[in-house]
Amino acid sequence: MSKTYEQINERIRSGKAVVYTAEEVIDIVRKKGAEKAAEEVDVVTTGTFGAMCSSGAFVNFGHSSPPIRMTDIRLNGVEAYGGLAAVDTYIGATSLTEDPKGGYGGAHVIEDLIAGKKIHLHAWGPGTDCYVRKNIDTYITLDDINDAYLYNPRNCYQNYSVATNTSDRTIYTYMGKLLPKMKNCSYSSAGQLSPLLNDPHLDTIGMGTKIFFGGGEGYVTWPGTQYKTNVPEADGVPVAGARTLALIGDMRGMDAKYVRGLDITGYGISLAIGVGIPIPILNKDIMQRCAVSDDELFAEMVDYSQPIDRPPMARYSYAQLKSGKVEYEGKTIRTSAMSSMAGAKDVAATLKDWIEHKEFTLNQPVMTFPKERSLKKLEERS
Amino acid sequence: MDRKFKIDFTEANVQDSVAYILVREFDLKPNILKAEIDGDGTGVMVLGLAGDDDKLDRAQKRLEEEGFRVKELLKRIDRDEELCFDCGACVSICPTGVFSHDPVTWKVVLDTNKCIACRSCVNACARHALSVHL
Repeated sequence: MSKTYEQINERIRSGKAVVYTAEEVIDIVRKKGAEKAAEEVDVVTTGTFGAMCSSGAFVNFGHSSPPIRMTDIRLNGVEAYGGLAAVDTYIGATSLTEDPKGGYGGAHVIEDLIAGKKIHLHAWGPGTDCYVRKNIDTYITLDDINDAYLYNPRNCYQNYSVATNTSDRTIYTYMGKLLPKMKNCSYSSAGQLSPLLNDPHLDTIGMGTKIFFGGGEGYVTWPGTQYKTNVPEADGVPVAGARTLALIGDMRGMDAKYVRGLDITGYGISLAIGVGIPIPILNKDIMQRCAVSDDELFAEMVDYSQPIDRPPMARYSYAQLKSGKVEYEGKTIRTSAMSSMAGAKDVAATLKDWIEHKEFTLNQPVMTFPKERSLKKLEERS
Repeated sequence: MDRKFKIDFTEANVQDSVAYILVREFDLKPNILKAEIDGDGTGVMVLGLAGDDDKLDRAQKRLEEEGFRVKELLKRIDRDEELCFDCGACVSICPTGVFSHDPVTWKVVLDTNKCIACRSCVNACARHALSVHL
């Protein structure tokens, strides 16, 4: 038996849709079996809330009088891109202030804008016949600019390595602070709640999929950068970083609670953002894959003290990783999550709530994403 | 339960054995968590003390009479709840297990009594949510 998007949306609109989070549905499928569960369940909601560096916002400030063509732009001192039209910009999450020690960057500007705070805009331009002005120094808020939407080229990584450090000094990485001699390790996927681990071959997720994005609504627009499929799998699910998504969403309607600037010591600035993707239960195979649990999902530990070539040292289940410690050659390694599991649960539960209250329906993708793709290396040529 | 203290040494008393006084005169069980002497002859020691509260209070008075500055570390670690988003980066950093995840909500919970004020967590927090007061 199978369902269509339209049938599911009809049930949502009539308030009859049966919705579970990707955690709640595990026991249901175990008890009833995928076939029976697929008949009952309409939607499974997923969630993740971790650092996603490849994020940023397009902004249009509106024109001043006299107007300026901005080529050099600072928002709260953070550099924004000056290579678009006169008052358009893109502020990247990892962009820094002139003093990189400030611990404030593009991600914080985005968080502050969404929180409704006043942002200092300082911009310069060449001064032309049509844009005579050469500089402007003012303040903006989300309410008084024309456009502000996140366009994140790479979010929702499908699985990711577990990082540890075999060296004898503490190292500071984008996977957090890693203590010497493998005293700790950090992982970043939400495991059984993670969107792309519940639909591992993107049977339902594609261009146009409507999502929970930073507390508002957003859409999947494209395969994320560094999207790849040629990674080892366990039971049909990648055990290393594989597929990614590019996401878009209006910053108005987002909630700063789900959009958090991060200052990762020794690395730089990143953005943690809550993303939830609804998975329509069109058939029993999709149901079965949504029922995957932490003990069936795996990630590989690698040594971040090695600058290049990090072969997998061990493979752990997310159940092991979430237990707080893992064993490696007789040694106990403490574990940390880099992404908020509490946040991921909140996202999945909130999206479930929206659907149950008829506030959110599902979109059928207008384009599916590549079934096969591998990454290219950057060659140094002269 | 252990109470934790920070003791400042001066050049005049940096060679005195505080631990001896605590054990011998007050029957306390010291656990030295941190001890440093600077080039100028001053020093600082952070230690946990187990024993009768009454004896602990008297010991503190006695050390102060000896010219040590003694400060009890009551609330060592502080978290700004608005800033924290419960990622858990701090959990594996802490050598004494101050941080753990609530098994149901997965929020990060603190057992501040375990804190030895080593500050290792402070720069592990990407939200600047943690501060340690001595």
